[in-house]
Amino acid sequence: MASSAESPPPASPGAGEGGLAHHRGVSLTGEGGLLQRILALREGGIIVVTLLVGLYFTLNTSTFFGTANFKTLLPYVAPFAIFGAGEVFVMVLGEIDLSIGGTFLFAPYLFFKLSASAGLPLLPAVIVALLACTLVGLINGFFVAFVGISSFVTTLGMLFTLEGLTLIISHGEPVNTPGAQVTHTEAKVEHIVNGHHIVLTESVNHLGTFAKIFGAGTYSEIIWAVVIVFVLQLVLTFTRWGLYTVAVGSNKLGAAEAGVRVRLVIVRNFVLCAMTGGLVGILEAVRSATVQPDTAGANEYLFLGIAAAVIGGTLLAGGSGTVAGALIGALFLGVLKDGLILQGVNADYLLFYTGLAIILAMTINIYVSRVRRGHSSG
Amino acid sequence: MAEPIPIENVVGPTSAPDDVLRVEHISKRFGPVTALRDVNLHLRKGEVLGLLGDNGAGKSTLIKIICGFQKQDSGEMFLHGEPYAPKSVDDSRAKGIETVYQDLALIDELSVYHNMFLRRERVRHPLPFLANREMKLETRRALDEIGINIPRIDVAVARLSGGQRQAIAVARTVNSDADIILLDEPLAAMGAKEGAQILDLVARLKAEGKVSIIMILHNYVHVLEACDRVSMIQDGVIALDKPTAETSVDELTEIVVNEYRRARQAAHGETVTSATPRPDWGSSGGAGQSDG
Repeated sequence: MASSAESPPPASPGAGEGGLAHHRGVSLTGEGGLLQRILALREGGIIVVTLLVGLYFTLNTSTFFGTANFKTLLPYVAPFAIFGAGEVFVMVLGEIDLSIGGTFLFAPYLFFKLSASAGLPLLPAVIVALLACTLVGLINGFFVAFVGISSFVTTLGMLFTLEGLTLIISHGEPVNTPGAQVTHTEAKVEHIVNGHHIVLTESVNHLGTFAKIFGAGTYSEIIWAVVIVFVLQLVLTFTRWGLYTVAVGSNKLGAAEAGVRVRLVIVRNFVLCAMTGGLVGILEAVRSATVQPDTAGANEYLFLGIAAAVIGGTLLAGGSGTVAGALIGALFLGVLKDGLILQGVNADYLLFYTGLAIILAMTINIYVSRVRRGHSSG
Repeated sequence: MAEPIPIENVVGPTSAPDDVLRVEHISKRFGPVTALRDVNLHLRKGEVLGLLGDNGAGKSTLIKIICGFQKQDSGEMFLHGEPYAPKSVDDSRAKGIETVYQDLALIDELSVYHNMFLRRERVRHPLPFLANREMKLETRRALDEIGINIPRIDVAVARLSGGQRQAIAVARTVNSDADIILLDEPLAAMGAKEGAQILDLVARLKAEGKVSIIMILHNYVHVLEACDRVSMIQDGVIALDKPTAETSVDELTEIVVNEYRRARQAAHGETVTSATPRPDWGSSGGAGQSDG
């Protein structure tokens, strides 16, 4: 009844035949209109909010909407999107993984040790560092699924342990990331000045292929993020792995009774999440060409990653979540911070405004989601 | 612990030549609580066996042991004459035993058809992706065949009524290649009409003669209508084992009344309970009430 009350009366001559059934769901935006379709998505609310925030900064600053700014914005967003993507798999289970801040810090140091000290080639060093992260995930999963310690406590312990371990082996000193250093070569470049050919020796910067792929290329991190989000969304929606993740998060006993190997599902997702933490750590170390034993920075990455997942529509209570939402959540956080900086907000005020804006945006998001549910059930 | 209540008639191991399943001297404790003391049970081919007993008598525990969800402390089981010790629910399923649990084991957040195929999902080999269209078609066909009306099978089961959920749990089990089906209170949460549909379905399965069924029921009229034989659990042992043709609602009721009488006498001395606690994953929400 609600939808027929919303629909316009069949006043137009052609619509007379159709009757009420044809007008079901017709509103100002039109059935199947773009806004309607976006709102039908679980991530609908945050997509709309992010677009509004982007629009606001586009209108209020001259520099927000442009290639140059996107080149800063997108690499900034990528780490939180990848963190969030891994976190979604754990959060859908109704658990949380704080240790990704630890793997984020530890994996690049391990990569440095393996490559610079042990002399392993770059790619094998990355792979071994990521395998070490899977071990961290296995340990997290073991304590949560078999010992029965809450994931918050288990992974908080693991976070501190790994951060401490990194400080111990690094002596708190930053080091140069292997394979990420810019090399210079001399090249003779021909110039034409007033019709005269002159040859000058110039210095040319080179970035290795490894560095370009693993984070130092302008769009490398955002490509990693988009590919990871795409693949993990496929896994969550269209494979047994994803199905069992939702099943365990929604009804652990029921899933076990139906024959789902609950502990395996839990351990597997913790391994996945730990790996995303390590990967982001290595990408960021290569991008900045320095491995920093900066625990405060790691914790900020951790929180923004979890925030990206939650803002994107994944429930902390479990049973429901979306990986694509984590990407959009990360984009929202990036747009907000970037826009505020471009607007010239004083550095001291930045965190303050960011905090208020997150709360305001989530309020709008919930309102929009309510409108959405009203539509879909009508 | 108090002295076990004396039972007039403890059924020992019995068997028939056409048994598909035999359960001998099964016991199970949960900490200080004895759920099953010494249970002997057999199930003949094509038979519908009604399993009766008071709340907390250990009926669900027995079902969960047979389907491999829990392991007995002692005792043995035999499937088609061979020793049978299921390692997991998957293992018992592979050996042809399907179960409808009292809490239904449905996943609220998943669609009807994903629940129908939970742990038996169809995938697009060699790709790992779920064959959703195929599962939808088969779910629709299976539900139609059973005659259960679920208007939409792509909605989350959270949005269905209690009776519809129950029907899906039963349909999921029937729509497998199982030759033994365990039904733990399949008529709970159902209206009279829906319940009749399930009993019709059981009767049809019996007529086909391919599956053997153990069914926990509380309503004795249903028991006499649907079952070939009844076994009653009291205080962790089987206290009665009779073909339904040889018993009556009156007899079954009298046994229960006697049990209450004994329990009241015992309560004057020392309280005896054999309630089954939730064994595992106890914090899981919406899983339903615990029962024996």
